[in-house]
Amino acid sequence: MTLSNRKNNSGSKFMAKAKKEPYLLINIIFAGVILLILAYSGIFSPEKDNYPVICVHEKLTGEPCISCGLSHSFSLIVRGRIGEAYQWNAFGMRVFLFFISQLFMRVVFLLISLRHPDIRKQLIIYDCVVSGIIFLISFWPFMTSIVKGVF
Amino acid sequence: MEDVKNNSGQNMGIAALITAIITFVLAVVPCVGIIAIIPGIIAIILASVGLSQAARNSNPRGVLLAGLIIGIIASLIAFSQIFVAGKIAQKADKWPNEIQNVINDVQDNVIKDIEDANISIKVESNGDKVEINTNTGKKDMEKKLEELEKVNTQTNDSVKPKK
Repeated sequence: MTLSNRKNNSGSKFMAKAKKEPYLLINIIFAGVILLILAYSGIFSPEKDNYPVICVHEKLTGEPCISCGLSHSFSLIVRGRIGEAYQWNAFGMRVFLFFISQLFMRVVFLLISLRHPDIRKQLIIYDCVVSGIIFLISFWPFMTSIVKGVF
Repeated sequence: MEDVKNNSGQNMGIAALITAIITFVLAVVPCVGIIAIIPGIIAIILASVGLSQAARNSNPRGVLLAGLIIGIIASLIAFSQIFVAGKIAQKADKWPNEIQNVINDVQDNVIKDIEDANISIKVESNGDKVEINTNTGKKDMEKKLEELEKVNTQTNDSVKPKK
């Protein structure tokens, strides 16, 4: 059996396992989505200002919203210009850290659930709680702005 | 064949859950919150279809229910962004009037400054110079007008009113 055949076999086995276990598949897809977000931040540069995502809120109301400048902020963080990133959006770092923590969690939880399938249910509960808390901490300013806007 | 049917409900559930979670993250970002209504609806539809399939085949429905609930909450948050935008737009309606008032104030100030200003216009052409100096002298004009009015009232006083 050649090396490529072995790799193909292990890959197909993993995919079959992932199809049977939704948690594995969800982890893989979310890790991919987060990597795409990081790639987006890396590809589009703040100097060229060629971001395809525009603020719908600003287009409708003419007023910049609390999340304006988030793309610029992400790009600057990826390039290591943290000070400038804070100037573009004060909450950019928080949200960026949420995505980084999620990427780390996806990889770690995927590996743990593969090695210890017997504790998968507990792992899912733990994952939901921790992810929920990190999400609330990271997105709290945005959520409060929405609540203030509605009421 | 039956295995494929069983998997389809499960796959729908996974797709619904992933779409719902992405919608949730998008919905709480004000910039793109309104757009999140579309994936929110897609997540709800996927979860609903998956639930009906799961009910027929008596499959587990945990992932599907999670997708449906998160999808509904995310769609509601995204929908609430319309109200937020509406309220800000209502406030924005008052801004043109405020801007108009500021412009009027500036205009009044400029007119007051110009009223008593000396204006000089210089035109040069082929070595010929023409210079026009003038001033509006509004105060002088007002004085003259008052004097004239006084003269007019004095003459009018001599006229006897008709009975």
